[in-house]
Amino acid sequence: MTRIPSQPGPALLDVRGISISFGGLRAVQDFNLTLPGGRLHGLIGPNGAGKTTVFNLLTGVYAPDTGTIDLGGAPLDGLKPSARAAAGLARTFQNIRLFPDLSVLDNVRIACHLRTTGSMAGAMLRSASNLGQERAILERARELLAMFDLLDRQHEDSRGLPYGDQRRLEIARALATGPKALLLDEPAAGMNPQEKVELRGLIRSVMERFHVAILLIEHDMGVVMDICERITVLDYGRTIAEGTPAEVQRDPRVIAAYLGDPADPATGE
Amino acid sequence: MDGVAVGSLYALIALGYTMVYGILQFINFAHGDVFVLGAWVSFAAAGAVGLSVGDQTAVPAWLVWLLGAVSAGALAAALYEFVLRPRLGAGRPPATRLTWPLAGVSVVGWGTLLLLVATRGVVAGGSHTIAGGMILVLAMSTCGLVGFCLERLAYKPLRSAPRLNVLITAIGVSLLLQNLGQLEWMFGTRPDRMPTLVPDTVLFRIGHVPVRLVDVMVVATALVLMVLLDWLVFRTKMGRAMRAVSFSPTNAALMGVDVDKVISFTFVLGSVLAAAAGFLYGQKYPGLNQTAAAGWVLLGLKAFVAAVIGGIGNIRGAMLGGLLIGLLEFFAVQYVPEGASLRDIFVFGALILVLLVRPSGVLGKAVTEKV
Amino acid sequence: MTLPTPTARREAPNPLMERAAALRGSGGMAAVRGVAPVLVALAVGLLLHFAIAPQLPEFYPRVILDIGINVILAVSLTMVNGFTGQFSMGHAAFMAVGAYTAATLVYYGSARLMGTADFASARAHAGVLSTMLQGREAAFFTLGDGIFIVALLAGGIAAAVCGYLVGLPSLRLRGDYLAIVTLGFGEIVRVIIQSQTTDTLYDVEVIKATPWPKLMRYMGGPVGFTGLPSYTSLFWVWSLTVVTLVVAFRLKVSTFGRAFLSIREDEIAAEAMGVRTTTYKVRAFVIAAFFAGIAGGLYAHTIGIQLNAGELAFMKSFDIIIMVVLGGMGSISGAAIAAGILTVLPEALRRPPPVDLPWFLLVMAAAWVAALLLIRRPKWWLIAVTALGAAYAWWQQPTLASPLMFWTVAGSGVLILLFAGRRVPGLIGLAIAVTCYIGVRSAAERAGIKLSDYRMVLYALALILMMILRPQGFFGVRELWTAWRVQPLHPRRSRAEGGESGTAGRVPTA
Repeated sequence: MTRIPSQPGPALLDVRGISISFGGLRAVQDFNLTLPGGRLHGLIGPNGAGKTTVFNLLTGVYAPDTGTIDLGGAPLDGLKPSARAAAGLARTFQNIRLFPDLSVLDNVRIACHLRTTGSMAGAMLRSASNLGQERAILERARELLAMFDLLDRQHEDSRGLPYGDQRRLEIARALATGPKALLLDEPAAGMNPQEKVELRGLIRSVMERFHVAILLIEHDMGVVMDICERITVLDYGRTIAEGTPAEVQRDPRVIAAYLGDPADPATGE
Repeated sequence: MDGVAVGSLYALIALGYTMVYGILQFINFAHGDVFVLGAWVSFAAAGAVGLSVGDQTAVPAWLVWLLGAVSAGALAAALYEFVLRPRLGAGRPPATRLTWPLAGVSVVGWGTLLLLVATRGVVAGGSHTIAGGMILVLAMSTCGLVGFCLERLAYKPLRSAPRLNVLITAIGVSLLLQNLGQLEWMFGTRPDRMPTLVPDTVLFRIGHVPVRLVDVMVVATALVLMVLLDWLVFRTKMGRAMRAVSFSPTNAALMGVDVDKVISFTFVLGSVLAAAAGFLYGQKYPGLNQTAAAGWVLLGLKAFVAAVIGGIGNIRGAMLGGLLIGLLEFFAVQYVPEGASLRDIFVFGALILVLLVRPSGVLGKAVTEKV
Repeated sequence: MTLPTPTARREAPNPLMERAAALRGSGGMAAVRGVAPVLVALAVGLLLHFAIAPQLPEFYPRVILDIGINVILAVSLTMVNGFTGQFSMGHAAFMAVGAYTAATLVYYGSARLMGTADFASARAHAGVLSTMLQGREAAFFTLGDGIFIVALLAGGIAAAVCGYLVGLPSLRLRGDYLAIVTLGFGEIVRVIIQSQTTDTLYDVEVIKATPWPKLMRYMGGPVGFTGLPSYTSLFWVWSLTVVTLVVAFRLKVSTFGRAFLSIREDEIAAEAMGVRTTTYKVRAFVIAAFFAGIAGGLYAHTIGIQLNAGELAFMKSFDIIIMVVLGGMGSISGAAIAAGILTVLPEALRRPPPVDLPWFLLVMAAAWVAALLLIRRPKWWLIAVTALGAAYAWWQQPTLASPLMFWTVAGSGVLILLFAGRRVPGLIGLAIAVTCYIGVRSAAERAGIKLSDYRMVLYALALILMMILRPQGFFGVRELWTAWRVQPLHPRRSRAEGGESGTAGRVPTA
C-alpha cells in the first residue's frame, strides 16, 4: 500500500488499521485515516466499496474486528454511538434519517440534548436552570437553522421538507451536537446542480465557522475534487489510494477501480 | 401424556400465529379466538347432527344466516360476471376480484351444510367416530371461512398501516369474536359440555403413565395435520409462494406471486388448524367455557408463547415450541410443589428466558437493521 | 448547578450550558412555576369533589372517577408507547403492583396504627377529602387519609422499581419481542399474586403479631383482596390526574421529552445524535410505571371495587394501549380524551343517557360543515346529497327534529367518516362519530333491539372501524390545540431514490 507521508499538525481523528468482516465478506480491511482539525478529507470508491461501513465503524454502529479509533487523543473504542457523539463525532446518513414526525426545529433541538446537564426533575418542575437550558437550546437551534436557510420552515414536519432541505437539515442537526469531527455521507446525493454548488459553499463555511474536521463520502466528483484537501479511495474494502485530488486522479489503480481493469477481459472495454 | 397431547394442540394453534407473523409481521391476537370458535362450532355442529346431550338439534340459525348472505352475494357476483358483463361489452372490468372469493366462500358454505346433513345420516347410522371426523372437517371449513372473511374485511385495508394499528385491530377482532359468541343466538353465556366421540379408555401404560385413547387421537390428528402442513409449505407451489412472501412481499409480488391470495390462504390455513385444535380440545376437555372466558385467552396466549419460543415466523419452530410448552406445563404440575398454581409462571418465565438468551427463538434467525 | 459527571463529555468547555446559565430564569418565578400546578391540581380536585360531584346524579361521580384513573393510566403509558415508541403490553401489571402494595399498606397499616376493629372502614376513618359517601360528618384530614396517600406513593415507587426491572430487557430487545416480554411480565405478576394464599387477616391482634414480610402474603390470592377501605375520592383522583398531565406535558416539551420522541422516530439516528437511548428507554419505563402504580393504588381503594389480579391482566393492558393508540401516538391530550371516551362509551352503551335530538343535530351540523370545509378536497357530491336530503326532510315535515332529517345528517356523517376519515380534524370527527352513535341508538330503540346486549360487539366494531378509517388516532402525533391543522398523511416527498446513485463507473474528473 502506498503510504502518503503524514499530514502536518496533530491528528484529531486517528484511525489505525480497522477491519470488519460480515460472514465471509471482508467489508473493510485495514483502514487508516489521519484527519487533523479543520481539514476536509474525501472518501470515495465505487458502489459497495465499504465507505458507509467505515462510517458505521467510526460512529460505533458496528464494532471493528481489529484496529483502534482515537478522537482528539481519547480512544473511542467500545463506546456506544451516543458516547461517541458526546466525544465530538457527528454524522449524517446516506439514506436520510431525520425524525420525520417532528418539526424541523425539534430535529435540531434534539441534537442539542447531549450538551445539556439538567435533571429530569428540573424539567418537571420547570426550574430556573431548566428554563435557561431550554432557552439556550432554542437560541442555538435557531442560529443553526438560520445559517442553513431553514428558519422559515422551522415548524414544519421534517418529513414534508424537499429533499435538498432534508439533506441540509441533517447537516444542521449533526452540527448541533457540537462536534469536533463531522462525517457527511453523500450530502449531495439527489441534489440538483444549483443545490450542489450551494452545498460546496456551505460545507466550506461550516468548516470555517465551526472549526470541525470533515470526512466526506461523495459520489459527485465535482464536489469532491473541488473541496477536499485529501482523498482516500476504497475498493472492495481496501484502501487503494490516498493523496491530494490531483494525485488520486492520476493513480492507475483508481482509474482501474472506476473503469475496470484493462487487463481483465470481463470488465475491459 | 397430557403434556404431549396439550402440547400438540398448542403447536397447532401456534402454527397460525407463526404463519401470520412470518408473512405480515404482526401478532394476530384474534387467532386464539378462532380456536375457541372452532371448539364451539364443533359443539354446535355436534348438536346439529344429533349428538348433543341437550336439545340442540336444529341447524344453528347463524349458520343459515351466514350461508344465506354469502350465497346471495355469490349469486349477485355470478349474475354480474356471466349475465350482465357480456351484455355491457368487453370494456367492463371483470368482477373476478369479487366473484371468485364469493363463489369459493359459497361453495365452502354449502359444502359445509351438505356435510352437516350427511353427518346426521352417519350419526343416525350409529358410527360416532366417522361423525367425529366429519364434525372436525365442518369446524375446520367454518373457521377457514371466518378466517378468510376476517382477513379480507379487517386486516386487508390495513396492509400499509403502522403495525400497532393492525395489532389493535386484531384485539378488536378478538373482542368481536368473543362477544359475538356470547350472544344468545350464537353460543350464549353458559358453559356447555361437548359430547365426547371416543370412549374414555386407557390403551396402555408407559411406566405408570396411562395413555388414553383421547390422547392418542389428539396427538395423531395433530401430527397428521402438521405433516400435511409441512408438505404444503415446503413441497408445493403455494408453499413456495408463502415462503417467498414471508421473505419479502414486494419482491414476491414482482416475481408474479399474488400476494393477496397468499395472505388469504395463510389466514385460512391458520384458522383451519386452529379449528382442528378447537375440536380436539373439546374432545380432551369436554367442558367448554363461554367464548369470552379468561381461560380461553390464556390458552391462546400460551400457544402464542409457544410460537415465540420456537422462533416466531418459523413453522417447524412452532411445532417444537408447542410441544415444549405442553411438556413444561405438565412437568411443572407433576414435579414442582404448588406447580399447579404456578405453571403459568413457568411458561412465561421460559418465554422471557428464551427471549433474553436468544431473542429470535430456538429455531429463529436474527434480523438486524441496516444503517 | 455543577454536578460531578461520570462521562468525559462534560469536561470540555460547554458553550451551550454557559449560554444557558446566562439565560436562566429568576428563582422566584421558578418557585411559582413549581408550585402552580400543585395548586391547580388541588383546585381541580376540590372543585370536582365539593362543588360538582354533589350536583350530579348518583351514578356520574363514579364515572368521572374512573375517567380520572384511566387518564392517569393512558397518559403514563403514552410516555412509553407514545414517546419512546417502545411497545409495552404489560402496563396493567404496574398497576397491579401499585394496587397491591398500596392495598397491603393501607389495610395492614391501618390495623397496626389504628388498632381498632373497624380499621378497614372508610366510613369510620376517612376524612372529608377521601370519601365518595355524600353527607357524612368527618374531620378534614384524618390518619386514614395520611396512610392512604403514603401508601399511594409507596405503590408508585414499588411499580417504578418493577418498571426499572422490565425496562432493562428493553436494552436488548426491540419491537415485538419487547412487547412479548412485557406481556409475559404482566402475566407473571398476575400469577404470583394469584398463587398466594386466599386469606386476608382481619383480626387486629393477629395482624399486630404477624411480621410485615409475612403479611405481604395475605393478599387474597385468587379470591381478591377483600375489605379494603374505599378512600379513593374524586379529590385524590383528579388532583393526581392533573399532576400526571402537567408532568407529562412538561416532560414532553423539555429536552428530555424530545430525547424520548427521537427514540420513537428513529432509534439509530437518535443514538448517533448523542441521545443515550438505552438510558432513556429505561427512564420512560420507570416514570410510566410510577404513575401506573399510583393509578393502581387509586383503583384498589375505589368504592365497589374488589381488588383482584385477574382484573389487572393483559386485557386491562390492552384497554390502556387502545386508549393510547386512539389518542394518537405521543399525544397526551389525545390519550387523555381517548381515556375519557373509552370509559364513558361502555357505560353509555349500557345505560344510554337521555338525548335531546335537536341539540345533537345542531352539533352535528356544525361539525359536518367544519369537516367538509377542512378536508383538503371538499366532497361536493356529499354536500349536494346531504343538502337534497335535508331539503326533502324539511319538505316532508318542517322541523329539525324529524327522524328523516336526523338520518340524512347522520348518514352523511357516516359518509364523511368513510370517505375522509383520515383527513377530518380529530375533534370534529369525534363529534360526528358521537352523533352517529346516537343515531344507531335511536334506530335500535325503534327496532326493539336492546343495545346493551350488543355493547361489547359495538365497542369492538368501533375499534376496528376506527383503526381502518383513522389509523393515526384522534390527533395523530399532535396535541389537542394543534390538531386543527390538517395532517398530511402521505407526505409530499419529492424524494429521488436514495442510496448510492449511479455515479459509480464515472472517471473522477476535476
